[in-house]
Amino acid sequence: MSTGLKAPQATAAGAPAPSSVGGADDAAVFEPKIVAFLCNWCAYAGADKAGAAQVPFPPNVREIRVMCSGRVDPQFVLSAFEQGADGVLILGCHPGDCHYKEQNYRAIQRFRIVLALLEQFGIPAERCRFDYVSAAEGERFAKLITETTAAIRALGPLRAPAQ
Amino acid sequence: MKIGIYFCKCGGNVSGKLDVAGVRQRVAQEGVYFKDMDFPCSEAGQESIVQDIKAEKPDRVVVAGCSPREHENTFRGVLERAGMNPYLLQLVNIREHVAWVLSDPRQATEKAALYIRAAIERVKLQEPLQKTTLDVNLRTLVLGSGPAGLKAALTLAEAGREVVLVEKRPTIGGWPVLFDEVFPSLECGPCVLEPLMGEVLQGPHAEKIELLTLSQVTEVLGYYGNFKVKIHKLPRYVDTRTCIGCGMCLAGCPASGPDPLSFGLGERKAIALAFVGSLPNVPFIDPAACLRLNGRQECALCQASCPIEGAINFNDGAQDLEREVGAIVAATGGALYDCARLPNLGLGRVRNVVHSLQFERLASPNGPTGGKLLTAEGHPPKRVAIIHCVGSLDSGHRPYCSAVCCASAFKFNRLIQEQTPGTEITHYWKGLCVPGKRGHTLYEEALHDPRTRLVHYTDISQLDVANAAGGVAVRCSAGNGSAGVPPAQAKAGGTPALPVLGGAPAPQKPEAALFDLVVLCPALVPGPDTAQLARLLEAGTDRTGFFEERHGLVQSSKAKVRGVYLSGTCRAPMNIQEAATEGEAAAGNVLAALVAGRKLEIEPVVASVDAERCSGCMCCVPVCPYKAIRREPEKGKAEINAVLCSGCGTCVASCPIGAIRGAHFTNAQIMAELKGVLA
Repeated sequence: MSTGLKAPQATAAGAPAPSSVGGADDAAVFEPKIVAFLCNWCAYAGADKAGAAQVPFPPNVREIRVMCSGRVDPQFVLSAFEQGADGVLILGCHPGDCHYKEQNYRAIQRFRIVLALLEQFGIPAERCRFDYVSAAEGERFAKLITETTAAIRALGPLRAPAQ
Repeated sequence: MKIGIYFCKCGGNVSGKLDVAGVRQRVAQEGVYFKDMDFPCSEAGQESIVQDIKAEKPDRVVVAGCSPREHENTFRGVLERAGMNPYLLQLVNIREHVAWVLSDPRQATEKAALYIRAAIERVKLQEPLQKTTLDVNLRTLVLGSGPAGLKAALTLAEAGREVVLVEKRPTIGGWPVLFDEVFPSLECGPCVLEPLMGEVLQGPHAEKIELLTLSQVTEVLGYYGNFKVKIHKLPRYVDTRTCIGCGMCLAGCPASGPDPLSFGLGERKAIALAFVGSLPNVPFIDPAACLRLNGRQECALCQASCPIEGAINFNDGAQDLEREVGAIVAATGGALYDCARLPNLGLGRVRNVVHSLQFERLASPNGPTGGKLLTAEGHPPKRVAIIHCVGSLDSGHRPYCSAVCCASAFKFNRLIQEQTPGTEITHYWKGLCVPGKRGHTLYEEALHDPRTRLVHYTDISQLDVANAAGGVAVRCSAGNGSAGVPPAQAKAGGTPALPVLGGAPAPQKPEAALFDLVVLCPALVPGPDTAQLARLLEAGTDRTGFFEERHGLVQSSKAKVRGVYLSGTCRAPMNIQEAATEGEAAAGNVLAALVAGRKLEIEPVVASVDAERCSGCMCCVPVCPYKAIRREPEKGKAEINAVLCSGCGTCVASCPIGAIRGAHFTNAQIMAELKGVLA
C-alpha cells in the first residue's frame, strides 16, 4: 500500500501525453484522464463488444485488463490518481455473473475501503466509480465511459489538496 | 532488452482508421523494433512472425491487433513455435478498443501509441512461466448409487476405469427402485433400475467397480488428481462373498424394527433383505433390532437356519477404509421437504395422510402392502386428495419448483385408477409444472378423467387437513380457490389450456371435502448428508442447500472445487432421466479430465505466497472461492495449491503486506502498465 500521495500531476505542464487523448494541458476543453480497470470476463468483453459493434466512446479512458475486479488493489487506484488520473473506474461482472463465483463482491467490499481512503487524501468520491458491465453490454460500456468522461470533465482537473 | 512490436493493420480495419507511420514514430525508442503487417493471425502471418522472431531474437514481444480474448493464445503459440516462452508476450487491443471506436484518426493514432508504450513497459517486467505437470490417479470415487451414481460408475467402468462406489444403505438403486411405476413411461421402477444394478454387480465391467455398501465418507484429503479418502463401513453381519441370498435366515428371526425404506409404514425383521429383489441380494442385520447384537438374548436362529457356515457373523465389525482416487462424483441424492413444518397438512398427526414416497411404497409390489393401495384401516381408498406444491414455490418454505412432483401426482392418479377404478381424486394445486416432451401425457389423462378434479389454492396456509367423522377432511379456504380447469371443459372436447404458474383462476367459494387418503407432494430438498459432504469435499452449497455448480448453466456437473463432479438430486431437483444423464455427464467430465498417460497440466497464471513475507494472518483464505489457500500447519503460513487456484488474483489484492504474488498480473506489471497509460 502506498503510504503517501504526491501531488497529482494531471495539470503538470509539458506532460508527454498529447491533449487529444486526455490531459489537462488544453485550457479550452478539459480532457480528463480516466483509468478503467476491466475484468477479463465481463467488462473487458463488454468493451470488446462496443468495439465490434463500433459504438463510439471517448478516448479519455485508459483501460487496464485484470482477470477479475477482485484483483484491483486499492493501491492501484491511489497510484492512478497519484500519476495523473482525474477519474478511476472499476468495472466487473454483474452480481451473480462473476466468472470466479463471487469475487466481484469482494471487489465491491474493497471499493468501499478505496472510497474511505480517497476521502482521507482529499479526493472526492465521485472521481472513483464501481460499476458492472456484462460480456454482452457493449452499449452499456460505451455509455458508462461517455457518462463518466462527461462527469469528470464537469468536475475539472484533480488538483493537489491544499497543503 | 530487445522488444519486438508486431502491428496488425487488419486489412484496413486498423490502418484505415489511424496513421500507422504515426504510431511507429510515437512508440520508437531504444531497443524496440516495429513491424506492421496484415493479418498476423492468419497461418501465413503467424509463420512470418515465427521466422522473424527467430531472426530478430527479441527478449519480449508486443502484438498490437485485436482483443487478447480472441488471439492471446494464438500468439502465445507463435512465440512457443519461435522458441520463446509464451508468457513474454503482451497484446494491445487497438482494433476493438481504439480503431473501431474512435472516428478521429489523430486521436486513434495517439491512443494506439499510448497503449503500445504502456505495453512495452509492462512486457519488460513479464517473466517466463512454465506449465507444470502432475501425475494423476485414474480411479474415481462415486458417492451414491441411485440412477446418477449407477450411470456414473458404469460409464467409467465401461471406459476401463476403476471405480469405488460408496452407498450409505445396504442396497443400491436409490429411490426409483422403490417405486411401482415411474413417469412418464409407466415402466416399473425395478425394471428400469435392475439392469443397471445387475451390471454394477455382475456386468462385463463389474470387476472395475468396488461396491462399498453401508459406507460413508468421513474424510477427504488431497486434491484434484490425487485425493485420499477415508470411508467408514458399517458391519452387515452377513458375508457378501459367501451368502447365496436364499433368505432362509429371515424366516426364523423373532425380532423386528422399523423399515426405513417404507418410510414409517412398515416393519422389517432384524435380519432382512431391504425388499424383494433388492441388490446386492444379501441380507443384513439391523443392530438396533437384533436381540443378540443388543445383548438381550443369546439368539442365533438366523445362523442356525443358514445353510452356509460362517455366512452370518455376529462379530462383524465396522471398518475404516482408505482409498486413493483422482476424482469424486457426488450423487448422494435428495430428500423430501419436512412436512412437520406444515402442521396444517396433518402428516404424522392425522391418520391416512402420507407423503409421496410413502404413497410410492404403498403402490409398490415390493412395498409394505405388497403393492395394494390401502388405508391405515386396510381398505382400498375411494376418495383420495393429492396436495401439490407442499413447501414449493413458497418463500416461507422452499422458493423453487421441484419440477417432478406434479408429474408424480398425475402418475399417482393413474396408479389409483388402475387399482381401484372409480376412485374420486382431487388435486389441490398451486402451480402446475409438467415439463418435457412426454410430461403432459399423464396430466392430460387426469384432466380427461371424469372422476378427477382440480382445485386451485394460492397459499398452502389456505389448506387444512384434519380428522373428521368418516375420513380426513380437507378444507380449502382459498378466497380465489377454484377448479383450475374443470374436467367438464376437458370433456367438452379439445385439449384445454394448461393451467400455468401464476395463472389467474376464476374465483370460487371456500370448500371442504372428505377423503380416505391424503397424499402430500413435498418439494425435493438436498439429502440430509449434503451439507456435511459439502464440507468434507470443500465443494460448497448454494442458498437452496444443494451443491453449487461451477457454473449453473454450462458447467453444472462440476463443483466449485476442481476434481469434484455433481450429478442428480444432490445438485438440484430432477427426474430419473435427468439424474441418469447427469451421472453420465459427470463420468464424461472425469474421463476428459483424467486421461491415461496424460499428466495434469497446471496453468502458471496462478497466485503464490512468499513464505518469508507472509505473517500468517490468513486474510487470504476466506476470499478464495476454490479453497485453494490453506494454512500450512508447520510454519503457520498461507499456502496456495496451484492445482486448485484459478488465477483470479483476489487473494493478491487482499494480502495486507503484499506477500502474495499473482503470476502474469504482478503488482509491478500492473503498475508499469498504469504508469504507461498515464504518461
